[in-house]
Amino acid sequence: MSGIVDFLFWVFAVAAVVTGWLVFRTDSMVRAAYWLMASFVAVGAILVTLDAQFLGLILILMMAGEMTIMAIFMVMYMMNPAGLNPMTMVHQHRTAAVAGAGAFVALALVGLLADFPDRPAPSGTDPTVDLGVELLGESMLVFESAGVALLAVMIGAIALVSKRGRYGDADEGSEEPILEKTE
Amino acid sequence: MSPAWAVALVGVLLMVSVYLVAVMETIFGLRVSGVRGYGRAWALPMSRAALLLSQRRSVTERPDAQAWALAPALLGGLGAVALTAIPLAAGVEVADVDAGIVLFGAALVQVMVAVFLHGWAANSLFPVLGAFRMAALALSVSIPFSLVVITTALPAESLSVGLIISSQESLWNVVRQPLGLPIYLITGLGFSFWAPLQLPDARDLSGGTSAEVSGAALLVWRVARASILVAVAAMGAAAFLGGYLGPWLPGWLWMAVKTFGLLAILVWSGHRIARPRMETAVKLGWTVLLPLALVDVFVSGALTL
Amino acid sequence: MRDLLARLAVGAPVPVFPVAGGGTREALARLRLRPDVHLVDTPRHAIVLLVLGEFPPGEIAGLAAVHDMIPSPRVTVHWTPGGPRDDVPRSMRVDGDDTALVAALSRVAGEVLSGTRASEPPIRPDVDPVEWRGIGPYGHGGKGMTGGTPFGRPLAERAPDRDGLELDQLSVTVGPWLGALPPGLELGIKLQGDVIQEVEIHPPAVTLERPDGWVRALEVPVPVAELELDRARHHLVWLGEALRVHDLPALGQRTLRLAQGLTPGDRGEVERVLAEVRRTGIYRLALRGLGAVDPSQVGGLGPVARAAGLEDDARLDDPTYQELGFRPVSHRGADAADRWRQRIAEITQSLDLAGRAGDRTAFGDGVVEGPRGRITSDGILPGAVTVDLLPELLTGLEWGDAVAVVWSLDVDPTGVASRSSPEGAAA
Repeated sequence: MSGIVDFLFWVFAVAAVVTGWLVFRTDSMVRAAYWLMASFVAVGAILVTLDAQFLGLILILMMAGEMTIMAIFMVMYMMNPAGLNPMTMVHQHRTAAVAGAGAFVALALVGLLADFPDRPAPSGTDPTVDLGVELLGESMLVFESAGVALLAVMIGAIALVSKRGRYGDADEGSEEPILEKTE
Repeated sequence: MSPAWAVALVGVLLMVSVYLVAVMETIFGLRVSGVRGYGRAWALPMSRAALLLSQRRSVTERPDAQAWALAPALLGGLGAVALTAIPLAAGVEVADVDAGIVLFGAALVQVMVAVFLHGWAANSLFPVLGAFRMAALALSVSIPFSLVVITTALPAESLSVGLIISSQESLWNVVRQPLGLPIYLITGLGFSFWAPLQLPDARDLSGGTSAEVSGAALLVWRVARASILVAVAAMGAAAFLGGYLGPWLPGWLWMAVKTFGLLAILVWSGHRIARPRMETAVKLGWTVLLPLALVDVFVSGALTL
Repeated sequence: MRDLLARLAVGAPVPVFPVAGGGTREALARLRLRPDVHLVDTPRHAIVLLVLGEFPPGEIAGLAAVHDMIPSPRVTVHWTPGGPRDDVPRSMRVDGDDTALVAALSRVAGEVLSGTRASEPPIRPDVDPVEWRGIGPYGHGGKGMTGGTPFGRPLAERAPDRDGLELDQLSVTVGPWLGALPPGLELGIKLQGDVIQEVEIHPPAVTLERPDGWVRALEVPVPVAELELDRARHHLVWLGEALRVHDLPALGQRTLRLAQGLTPGDRGEVERVLAEVRRTGIYRLALRGLGAVDPSQVGGLGPVARAAGLEDDARLDDPTYQELGFRPVSHRGADAADRWRQRIAEITQSLDLAGRAGDRTAFGDGVVEGPRGRITSDGILPGAVTVDLLPELLTGLEWGDAVAVVWSLDVDPTGVASRSSPEGAAA
């Protein structure tokens, strides 16, 4: 069994890295977004092989919507809608290369030098239950504050895009009125 | 269950159910259009499939060819994955995962990606508009969908579909959570972009994301779309109607009866309910279904406690 | 393998993409009822390109683009309901009635599927609209981030959207053979996302639809029963086509079937079907609040005017109708839902009038109330005015809503023909 798990881990690990690399090799915004999603899906699959089914599947579930929204917003705001002119996804090559190499070295050093705790979970633990206890137990204050803040942001966003906008109905245009001096 | 058997089982089940959905669709269509005599409906899907297979693929100007080829296969694969999460009879689970209901949800949410790619890749106006519609539609229905699906896990105190079914031994979830099934079916129609919520592939876009597709690719796309509907109905039967539970008949037969009962309701509604405007559909998701789904969660949660 | 597929495929309805010329509205409706034919919404799903009715010689060439969109195997059939055309080669045309046409469609589709008949080659050469190969830094015709004509296509322009953002704008021509629009309607539109920013009506490619019965009524009195049945039939055909575009094709077929051989005695069945249309919730879900017209702009436009609350009906001035106690139905909201309600109410009203009219005759003095509005002897059909409403009504709508508005107006693109070529209108 562990042979299969090891094999799957390496398959997904390689897939995550390769698709992550492809994000920067494509010249289409939609493809870039979905390569990134493929990378996250591979990471989610790794989590599933590590017996964290819930976390892995939730990651996959969340990424579909997020990456689609990202792709649409990029298409909407970029001057070059269909990616007809090859648009490189990489800018400031020197800075990017230095930052990338630096981050890699730093992480590799952490990986090699850090003294990782070795606490194998007893068999029979349910990671979903542990997660629930953690979220609503010791870390409740942190998660609830973050959760309420995010909820407020979401309600605010919906209020901003709702039909009854501040400057008129959304489907008629909510442009800010031009200030004019009245006589 | 060995992987080879599992793949074969899911494949055969999907093909048979998709064929039956096509037959049902034909019969309901004939009925509503006032034609009597449905004998023809049984062979018609086969002939249609043969016709599509005889057709060559169409080519647009500079499509995203890989994504275009991938999208139908991805959609069909997602239908199959979603189906693996559902126990077909007592103890017969293709994928015995603890978080089965999350696996199902993850597969369905990815449908949005398959449809978006399908429309985007054709590099043509109406398919792209269909792709945008799918994003808006799927985002509007996904939260109420997830909420009502996860609510069925509350009485079971587990995310496993098997345990969700056995928790309905005394009382089906359709009674315990009366808001659940209607919201689930409406949002499920949205995810499988089936009539009346077929906005991404609607006729006012001349077929939307499939407007530029022909031949085998179109056949695969239609089969894949129906397979999502089958998965939605099967999970509806499992999560709300007690799945394989029932007296007298064998479990798998109960499961089949309930699944096809739901499929009949879904397909029937496509011929009887008008397709809403995009704005109406989005509004329905955010202002009606989402609050109702929240009520469903709170009430069910309080009852469970 | 190919033989097996071809044999199996014979059982399926032949997918046909219709290109409807002038005077083929009813023929198209009859064809939709044939179980052996499936009229598809896009040429990509078709095997047969059916050229219905008459086209000016130049326009046949314009169909080449549609022809080439049909994937191989493809075949073209010409058919004119009134009689054969001499300028089409005999091998491509069908002479005879509907049944002959359906038989011919099945035959040619079978031949081209089994390979006994060669698939037609593309008509237009596969060339780029603009020279682009080898131009620019990547050899793809583009320049910098947003310049040039990459792959031979101009890039989208930019324009402020309704929220004051600068976003891309796409200029496209839709129609004249788009399944979602009435045949012959060609629009030049500017889109931001799926929101229409600008609409321009292009002159249509079809010859005039001749509303013969109605034009005849301008000069001689004709039986009221005949006129009113015609009106009910017209509205039923409209309803059938509009239901199809709203993705209720089966209900649409039922409506089209009603239109065939309609008699005043069919009223019960008609009312059952209309009730079913209402029960789909289409007014509330798909039509309400869309495309409200200004009542002052729709005078003479029949149901469109009456749906906007005007008591505008040439039948009011006709002594025969006065004798029959005719009162026009009208609605108040002026939006798409009201126009649907209006026509649906007029169907039963017309059946009622036709039942009571006996052999009375009406009109004949230069003004007729046609199904789309007032027809006068000056040759301008009400469709002309309806089409003129489109640019204002469609601007700012999403594409789906725009399609709903176009159908709710029962637009007649041939009305534009009568405007752009007045001499053709007299025909």
